[in-house]
Amino acid sequence: MATAISFDDVTKRYRGGREYRSLRDDLTSVVRRRPPRDVVTAVDHLTLEIAEGESFAIIGHNGAGKTTALKLVTRIAFPTEGRIRVRGRVGALIEVGTGMHPELTGRENVMLYGRILGLSRNDVRRRFDEIVEFAGIGPALEQPVKQFSSGMQLRLGFALAAHLEPDVLVVDEAIAVGDAAFQYRCVERMGELVRSGRTLVFVSHDMSAVEALCKRAVILDAGRIRTEGPAREVVREYLAGVEAELTGRGDEPALEGGGPLEIDRVTFHDDSGAEIGAVASGEPIIARLHYRTRGPVRGPIFEIGITDGRLGALGLASMFIDGKVPDVLEGSGWVECRFESLPLLPRTYELHGGVLTESGVGSIVPWQRLGVFRITGEVSAAGKGAVSQMMEAAPVVLDYRWSIEDGAGGE
Amino acid sequence: MMAQIDTSAAPGPGPSVPPERQPPHRGEKPVLEISGGAGRITRDALAELWMFRGVLWAFTVREVKVRYKQAAIGVGWAILQPVVAAAIFALFLGRYAGLSSEGVPYLLFALAGMVPWTYFSNAALNGSQALVANESMLRKLYFPREVLPFSSDLASLVDLLPGIAVLAVAVVLYGGSPELTWIAIPVPVVLLLVFAAAISVALSAINVYYRDVKYALPFMIQIGLFLSPVVYPLSSIPEQWRDVYVVLNPVATAIDDLRLIMLHGEWPSWGTSALALGWSLLLLVLGYALFKRLERGFADRV
Repeated sequence: MATAISFDDVTKRYRGGREYRSLRDDLTSVVRRRPPRDVVTAVDHLTLEIAEGESFAIIGHNGAGKTTALKLVTRIAFPTEGRIRVRGRVGALIEVGTGMHPELTGRENVMLYGRILGLSRNDVRRRFDEIVEFAGIGPALEQPVKQFSSGMQLRLGFALAAHLEPDVLVVDEAIAVGDAAFQYRCVERMGELVRSGRTLVFVSHDMSAVEALCKRAVILDAGRIRTEGPAREVVREYLAGVEAELTGRGDEPALEGGGPLEIDRVTFHDDSGAEIGAVASGEPIIARLHYRTRGPVRGPIFEIGITDGRLGALGLASMFIDGKVPDVLEGSGWVECRFESLPLLPRTYELHGGVLTESGVGSIVPWQRLGVFRITGEVSAAGKGAVSQMMEAAPVVLDYRWSIEDGAGGE
Repeated sequence: MMAQIDTSAAPGPGPSVPPERQPPHRGEKPVLEISGGAGRITRDALAELWMFRGVLWAFTVREVKVRYKQAAIGVGWAILQPVVAAAIFALFLGRYAGLSSEGVPYLLFALAGMVPWTYFSNAALNGSQALVANESMLRKLYFPREVLPFSSDLASLVDLLPGIAVLAVAVVLYGGSPELTWIAIPVPVVLLLVFAAAISVALSAINVYYRDVKYALPFMIQIGLFLSPVVYPLSSIPEQWRDVYVVLNPVATAIDDLRLIMLHGEWPSWGTSALALGWSLLLLVLGYALFKRLERGFADRV
C-alpha cells in the first residue's frame, strides 16, 4: 500500500511572545546578540507514516501539537525542519471558516475551493448540489460568508472539505462545535469516505468517535509520539492516562451542577462491588452516581443513558419512565443502576445522565456526560469486514440468524 | 512548496481491491513535498501559480467588488483623484509658477502625469498590504501566496482604465483627436503593472515581518511624486542623467510614454521603454525571489 502522508523527522517551532516585530526590535536584538525568546516547539522530531486508505487518529491533550501537525500537512504552515510528503489532494477542516473567504458568497467559495483543490469548474458543478445540501445553507448561498452564522460556516467548511473528492481528508476537532445532528452526519460522511478508500486523518478528543472511525492512532505529547498502534489500544491507553490524571487530581467537582443536588462523580462496579473501568460484553455492570445535596431534595428523577458518541442514547435507564423515584434524598450518598447485560460491541462508551425535578419539568442536574467505560471482548466474527465493521458499524449486538432460500427450491 | 510527480511511488492496480472501493485518480496522484526553510522560485512554483490562475482571477474580481462596494460613487473615486490633483497642479504650478508643460495645456499635461501616478501609488499601497489584509486566509487556507499582491495590482487597473478614458475625453475637449499612436497605450500600462507588481510582491512580504512598511511607504510615495515627472516635464532633467533616470524609474518612462502617445500623437520611445521594462522585470524577479524566501513563515507571523 502506498503512503498517503509521511512525516520525516519534522520539527515546527514558533516564535511565541510578542506578535509583531518592528525593525527596531530586530535591530536591537542583533546589536545586543540576544537569543530569540519564547520559542515554542509545537512538533518535535515527528516521524510518522499514514498509509493510503487508512483511517488515522491523532489524539492528545490541548497543546500537544495535533493541530500544528495538520496545518503542516495542508501547507498552511511549514516545518522548521524535516520533510512531509503528501500524496493526492487534501481536503481539510481545521478551524471554523477554514477554506473560505469571508467576503465571497457561499457559491463563490464553493467554486474557489474547488479551484484550489485543482478541480475543474465542471467537476465542482457536478458536486455543487451535494455540497449545498449537506451544508444545509440553501437560501444563504448568495450571501457573503461573513454573514453566515458560525454553524453555517462550519457546515459549509466540512461540506467543502468532504465532498470535493479529496484523496486525504483532514478533520480537526472543529466539528465538535457543531450541533449533535451535524456531528453525526460528519462522522457518517467520514466513514463513507474511508470505506471508499480515502485516507482520513482525524484529530479529536472524542474517543468513541476515534475508536468508531479509525483503525490506527497516535498519542502526541508535547509534539512527540508517545504511543502508536491500533486505534483501540491507543484509545485505551489514552483513557487510562486521563483516568489516572483525574483520580490523581482529587475530588475537584468536574461536573456541571450548582443546584440543590449535585452529582460528584460516577463510578462503575462489578457485582462484587469492586470498581472497574471495563466490562466484558454481556456481563453485568453497575453505574454508581455519587450525589450530594444541600438540604432535602424531594423526588429527584434520575436518568442515565449510554452512547458511543453518536447522536442519541443507545439505551436509557430512566426513573421518568419506570417511576422508581426516591422519596427524599439528603446529604450525600449514591444512586446505583445495575445493567444486567450490555449487548454492545467492544468499544468505549459514554454514560450521560441528568436529574429532573420532582414534577419532571426542568432539571436539577442538566443532562451531560458523566463518565466513560469500556466494553471488552474479542472480535470473533469471521466475515471479510469483521474487524473494521466491529469498529465502524452499529454498536448493539443483536441475536440474529440468516436464512437463505435459493432459486432451486429449499435450503 | 514543491509539487513533484513521484512515479516511483505510483501504486500498481491492486487486484484485491474491488473497483468501487478504489480511490479516484489512482496512479496519477501528485506527491507533494513540504519542507521548511527559505523557498526559491522553482519551475514547480511557477507551474502552480499558473494552475491557480483561476484563483488569481477570482481574487481580482473580489478585490474590485470589495473596494467599491460601499462607496456611493464607486469607481468615480478613481477618476476624481487624478482629475482634482491635476486641476490643483494646473492652477498653482501651471498658472502661477509657470512650469513648462511641453507646449500642451498644463491641465492635460498634469492629468497625463497624475493618471499613471495614481495607479502606481494605489497599486503599491494596496499591494503592499495584500498579505496582512488577508491574514485570516493565510491562516486557514493554502494557495500560492503571491496570488494576493498580484491580484491586488490587477484590481487597481480598474482605477487606471477610467483615468485613461478621462484623459482621452480631455484631449478631445482641448481640440485634439485620437491618433493611431493610441494603440500603443498598453505599453505604459504594462510597464506600470510590472513595476507595481515588483514593488508589491516585495513589500507585501516584508510587511508581514515589519509593519514599518505601512508607515514608510506613504511617505516614500509622496517623495516619489516629485521624483517622477508628474508636474514637470522629463526635459527638465539634465540631458546626461535622463536616460539613467527614466530606466531606473519606470514610472517616469510610463508617464513620458503616455504623454507622447496621447498628447503629442507620437509613438513611445521604444528603446527606453524596453530598458525600463527589462529593469522592472528584473525587479519583479528579485521581489518574487524575496517573497518566496519569506513565504513559509507568513502564516506564523501574519
